[in-house]
Amino acid sequence: MVFSSILFLFRFLPAFFICYFLVPQRMKNFILLLGSLIFYAWGEPVYIVLMLFSILSDYIHGILIDKYRNRRVSVFLLISSIVINLLMLGFFKYADFLIGTVNALAGTSFALLELPLPIGISFYTFQTMSYTIDVYRGEAKVQKNLLDFSVFVTMFPQLIAGPIVKYRQVEAQLHRHKSDLYQISAGVKRFVAGLAKKVLIANNLGVLWTEVSAMNYGEISVLTAWLGIFAFAFQIYFDFSGYSDMAIGLGACLGFTFPENFNYPYISASVSEFWRRWHITLSSWFREYVYIPLGGNRKGLSRQLVNILIVWALTGIWHGADISFLAWGLWFALLLILEKLFLGKVLSKLPKAFGRIYTCLAVLLGWVLFGLDSLSQAGGFFKALFGAGSGVLFDGQGLYLGREYLLLFAIAAIGATPFIGAILKKLEKNRTGYAIALYRLGEKVIPPLLLLLSVAYIVDASYNPFLYFRF
Amino acid sequence: MDEKRNAILTVAIICAMLLVFTAADLFNGDRIYSETENRVLASRPEFSQESVKSGEFGAAYEEYITDQFVGRDKWIGIKTASDILMQKKDINGVYLGQDGYLIEQHLPSAYESVQVTKRTALLEKLVHDWNAKVMLVPTADNVLTDKLPANAAYYDQEALLAYVEEQIGESHYIDVFSVLKEHSQEEIYYRTDHHWTSLGAYYGYSVWAQALGVRPYDYSVSRMRTASEDFLGTLHSRLNLPMKGDEITYFPETIKRPVTVTYDFEETMDTYYQESYLETKNKYGFFLDDNHAFTEIHTSYRNGKTLFVIKDSYANSLIPLLTPHYQTIYVVDLRYLNGSLYEFMQTYEPEGGMDVLVVYNCIHFLEDFQYYE
Repeated sequence: MVFSSILFLFRFLPAFFICYFLVPQRMKNFILLLGSLIFYAWGEPVYIVLMLFSILSDYIHGILIDKYRNRRVSVFLLISSIVINLLMLGFFKYADFLIGTVNALAGTSFALLELPLPIGISFYTFQTMSYTIDVYRGEAKVQKNLLDFSVFVTMFPQLIAGPIVKYRQVEAQLHRHKSDLYQISAGVKRFVAGLAKKVLIANNLGVLWTEVSAMNYGEISVLTAWLGIFAFAFQIYFDFSGYSDMAIGLGACLGFTFPENFNYPYISASVSEFWRRWHITLSSWFREYVYIPLGGNRKGLSRQLVNILIVWALTGIWHGADISFLAWGLWFALLLILEKLFLGKVLSKLPKAFGRIYTCLAVLLGWVLFGLDSLSQAGGFFKALFGAGSGVLFDGQGLYLGREYLLLFAIAAIGATPFIGAILKKLEKNRTGYAIALYRLGEKVIPPLLLLLSVAYIVDASYNPFLYFRF
Repeated sequence: MDEKRNAILTVAIICAMLLVFTAADLFNGDRIYSETENRVLASRPEFSQESVKSGEFGAAYEEYITDQFVGRDKWIGIKTASDILMQKKDINGVYLGQDGYLIEQHLPSAYESVQVTKRTALLEKLVHDWNAKVMLVPTADNVLTDKLPANAAYYDQEALLAYVEEQIGESHYIDVFSVLKEHSQEEIYYRTDHHWTSLGAYYGYSVWAQALGVRPYDYSVSRMRTASEDFLGTLHSRLNLPMKGDEITYFPETIKRPVTVTYDFEETMDTYYQESYLETKNKYGFFLDDNHAFTEIHTSYRNGKTLFVIKDSYANSLIPLLTPHYQTIYVVDLRYLNGSLYEFMQTYEPEGGMDVLVVYNCIHFLEDFQYYE
């Protein structure tokens, strides 16, 4: 089930929250688990078994690791937990990629498995791994309550697209989570804002990207190509950060504080900064559980560069079992290494605008690798971006599309900066009658309006693919 | 205190919206068919262990809920209004043209040359088997080009038609494109629907007569009658905005002489025009009782001539105008006909032979035209 659907908004959500708020405190986790399982099973009932297996496996591993703490066997238990998780992920996500690669390299013809990817598997395996690792390191207490642990893994707000919540981040809230009025009010606003970001901005710019990416790159103008890749950049940001907003908002209504996942990544002045602002919970996961254990920056420069390479290769293929995603990760590894070596110093001496333009360009070119199905397609698109497509700077098509999406681009561009947030803060803090009245009015009028518009676009659209399902 | 009241209000308004729409939707009965969308809506899927396990039930149920959502048509209207506010010029595949014209969008990328070659080859076969004449009617985007938004893209049907003419031979090709282009400032297409008007069909008729070398019947454009003044067609349905309706007109000459029209061997009428459709959303169904697989027409012109028409819905307003030239007219709509067209035509061919006419708009031709021998 996705959040931006009639089914979720007008069936699941009311039914779930009515049950959730009606039952006594001790029943709440049971209802949350039940609701989450229904939410998950709606799309792929069979894979619920896999998720339950994953829960049991790490629940038991956690207990055993705790029991044999400080003994040699606990290392093996940790390794066993990680291997099981990675095998699950590897089998369902990467088996066909590996088989295909072997076939291509060795000329064999092993049959592909062609299994559908279990929804959210990339997210929940990472979450459960964070649990066993933290228990092993003594950074989290073992969870003996199976219900509470199941809730951690299955919780529907962040189950299928993150944020990737580390166990210790919600440890204290798992057994008793109560939300007060202000949390709920903030959560509701956050959810609606996320819904609007996804439905009103991401989906509509997605239409433009779908249109441009289906064109013959040899025939499009430079303008059309850039419109296309800008559209994709905004689509993926508003789609994914909108989804995170909805997750965080729903979490707040339930009394959970989920970590933030995005912090205006497109204003970054370097690629290193971009990765501190983009999909924060994923990069911090890799940082904590891969980069730092590998030695991070503590073992000399050359080792650090290798570590960067490893982490970003993994980040790339985490997003999808495909050579394009690997290339996308390595592209960032290259830039990060250059920044470590000298580029970072150069950028810090130049005006910030340079850094921003460079980062914007780096990220946009990265999205070409990310957004297209193959490297050869990406190659064609790169050519079009730099004038080797039709060879013309702009044409009627580009002008038409530019005019058609101008206003939406403007809204998206403003929305991707902290500008609106800053104004809202100012209005809220400014306790003069006029400003606060305006703020209060907006607070009451804007969310319902956004909800209304979002529902209209959801009803209208057969176009509602959720990008992160592929991962 | 103020802050608290505000938080309560925010939560209350959103929750109320969700609950009110949910409740309204629960009490809202299911519709089988959407008139505005011209399609059968999804119905409640059957519940079985099998279908739940495979995930089919979940998917079907979601489609059902979305299709049947309360106030569906109104939501579409809200979405359109918001798109217009965002300065969009094409919405749900419809260009918002000048002078209130809604023009169906056909992007060049949607039609591949393979498709063109394949359909044209089929047409060529039919033309040579039956010595047929072909009328391919361009859609509004190719004719009313000055009414399109600036730089709006459209699939170039002039090039398609040139190719078709070359393949089937000049003598089989009737040039509707040029005549419609000449009259592009007149009301030859509906503003709210994808069809040509009776006036457009009349210009089509005039070039048909010219191509066959027959004297055209003296239809009077100035005496056309209005059947309806509030026709909101298929393109309007995609937007659901308040708009002024189109006029549906017809030539009164076509009802002067008795005629019998039999649809699918079942129902026989004594007119081309079904007024009952004017009471529905699908007012274009007024012409030839909407669409039927097979229609058999007997006119009161005893000239012994027979015409066999293979067509889409564009022909429905044209066929009445052909009356004075034939005693019998057979009409086939391939979308609803199964089996071999060739054999079907053979069974209806009189001993003295018959004229064969293909009438399609260019887009339907590329999408639907078939010829099975």
